[in-house]
Amino acid sequence: MELLKRIVIGCALLGVGPAFAAEWEMSLDLRVVGSDGRQSFLEDGQGKLRFDEDHQGIQLGRLRAALTQPLGEVFAAHVEASRWDDDDKNPVDLTEAYVEFRPYPRDGWRTRMRLGAFYPPMSLESRATGWETPYTITPSAISSWIGEEIRTIGLEAQLDWLGTRKGHDFDFQLTGAIFGWNDPAGTMLAKHGFALHDRQTTLFGRVGEVQSDPTKTKKELFHELDDRPGFYVGGQVRYLDRAVLNLLHYDNRADPTVRSDELRDMAWDTTFDAAALRIETAGEWTVLLQALDGRTIISPSRTLTWEFDSQSALLAKRLQRHLLGLRYDAFAVTMLGRPTGPGSEDGDAWTLAWSFEKDEHWRFAVEWLRVESNVPRRAVDLGETPFATESKLEFSARYSLHGRY
Amino acid sequence: MVAGLPSGTEVAHPALTIRANPLPLMVALLALAPVVSAASLKVSVAARDGRALAGAVVTVEPENTGFAPAPPVHAVMDQLNLAFVPRVLVVPVHSSVQFPNSDAVSHQVYSFSSARQFQLPLYRGKPYPPVRFDQAGVVTLGCNIHDNMLAYIVVTAAPYFGLADEHGEWTVDGLVNGRYRVRVWHPLLNEPEEPVRVIDVNADPVSAEFRLAKPLRPAPLDGKPRSWNY
Repeated sequence: MELLKRIVIGCALLGVGPAFAAEWEMSLDLRVVGSDGRQSFLEDGQGKLRFDEDHQGIQLGRLRAALTQPLGEVFAAHVEASRWDDDDKNPVDLTEAYVEFRPYPRDGWRTRMRLGAFYPPMSLESRATGWETPYTITPSAISSWIGEEIRTIGLEAQLDWLGTRKGHDFDFQLTGAIFGWNDPAGTMLAKHGFALHDRQTTLFGRVGEVQSDPTKTKKELFHELDDRPGFYVGGQVRYLDRAVLNLLHYDNRADPTVRSDELRDMAWDTTFDAAALRIETAGEWTVLLQALDGRTIISPSRTLTWEFDSQSALLAKRLQRHLLGLRYDAFAVTMLGRPTGPGSEDGDAWTLAWSFEKDEHWRFAVEWLRVESNVPRRAVDLGETPFATESKLEFSARYSLHGRY
Repeated sequence: MVAGLPSGTEVAHPALTIRANPLPLMVALLALAPVVSAASLKVSVAARDGRALAGAVVTVEPENTGFAPAPPVHAVMDQLNLAFVPRVLVVPVHSSVQFPNSDAVSHQVYSFSSARQFQLPLYRGKPYPPVRFDQAGVVTLGCNIHDNMLAYIVVTAAPYFGLADEHGEWTVDGLVNGRYRVRVWHPLLNEPEEPVRVIDVNADPVSAEFRLAKPLRPAPLDGKPRSWNY
């Protein structure tokens, strides 16, 4: 199955004789961080932030390279490679790699298909290149989790009705996908709950540092363990270019009794519903509401269930090249029957960010984030107080280049 | 403040975009020149709140059938910075329009409007011959790669047409006395019925004022940074 995963992803890397110029992008995002965060989840801690108290000062935010290669008239391959400044499995790895089939629309209808590895279409926040949010440095708890644990490795089909091209005010879209290689999704929620970070997990990598405890999960999420494909279905309604409503139902259909000795993890039967609404006004205000509600199950001998939910509200104002964003996140994970069990938590966070797109190359941003969380496991596992207030001030300077060859 | 047009919107009269062949332009201008005891008609268009509706397309045709449309032109609709330029183009029937792509990235232009359906497969530069528009109507254009790209070509059979200026006004000279049908169109129009008036042109000058009954639809949002995908 691992071979098949590489073949599916590898499809995105194969060209059939480039008749069109490829478009490429590279960016280097450097940070200066001040943080009082607890030991980060990236280092097996229960801290909610990517950069904790021991990771302050100058940090590598992200080194990123992306390539879009048209393959004939209606196919295009897209590859995203990144390096983060932590001890991931590979120094450079992929976050997305897929081939898109985009036939010409006919009479208002259009289909699109993607084959490979990519994000499900659920975050109206992660609208910038590289699946980043333009509103803040750190995405919402929902998007942070999607970036950490969820990836579609499979086939997705979309059907669009382009009403705005027929004189109407609305467009509609239906999406469906079947996928594999995401059976461990849910394991990180049950280990450290939600977090607020922009560190996307790579396709062949893991979540942060190598696991120090040899009995615990390797934190590698993109594997097929039970040979049962998962699916999602979703819909989107757009009102002109002003409002978007997005709905998604996701189910990885994992067999919760299956265990992988190699990954030292279970197949986590994870399903969730997600909704997002984004409204943009003529005055350049943006309101973005997101909600996520789901559960994940494993059955090593008896069934263990975690329920999770998160909500987020963002208000942003764009003023020419400046963007000011204020966001509130709430999140909770509950291990049923064990309120102090691993993963159980509740918390909320405030994020305030300002960014400035100086030109097409430079973007500067500064962000203040404070997250309060109550995680009983901090006391049980780490001898810490369960309740923690963590905050950080982060400055970002990003330099981007793009071109074609 | 001009209603209906976000800053940066460009609306061009076909006469301003003719590049290939200036002769039809001259013919068109001659057709608009004063004839014997001709009258002028000033059309002003205002949104519901009274603000001038710049960029409104105004067409004027004799009420009786049997008139000839304006001579066809060769016009250009460019693609620059992931947008069509201009966003609204008015051409007489049987005109042809070139769609160069001046962006570094490829575009794929399509229309499935009933007045003219066509598609230009993925391209950069100017690889395709101009597209001819033989049927009157509004043609909505899109790009299959960049969904935010949206533009309109208004194909008209009227002998007189133009775009309202920043004061919401457009004037046609040289009308022979008679009754004329005046129509107004704008991409953001939200009227339950097409704004159309029959004007008796028997004195000089004559004016026709349009005031919309409904608020305009929201204008497209512009100026997003390049790093935003959509």
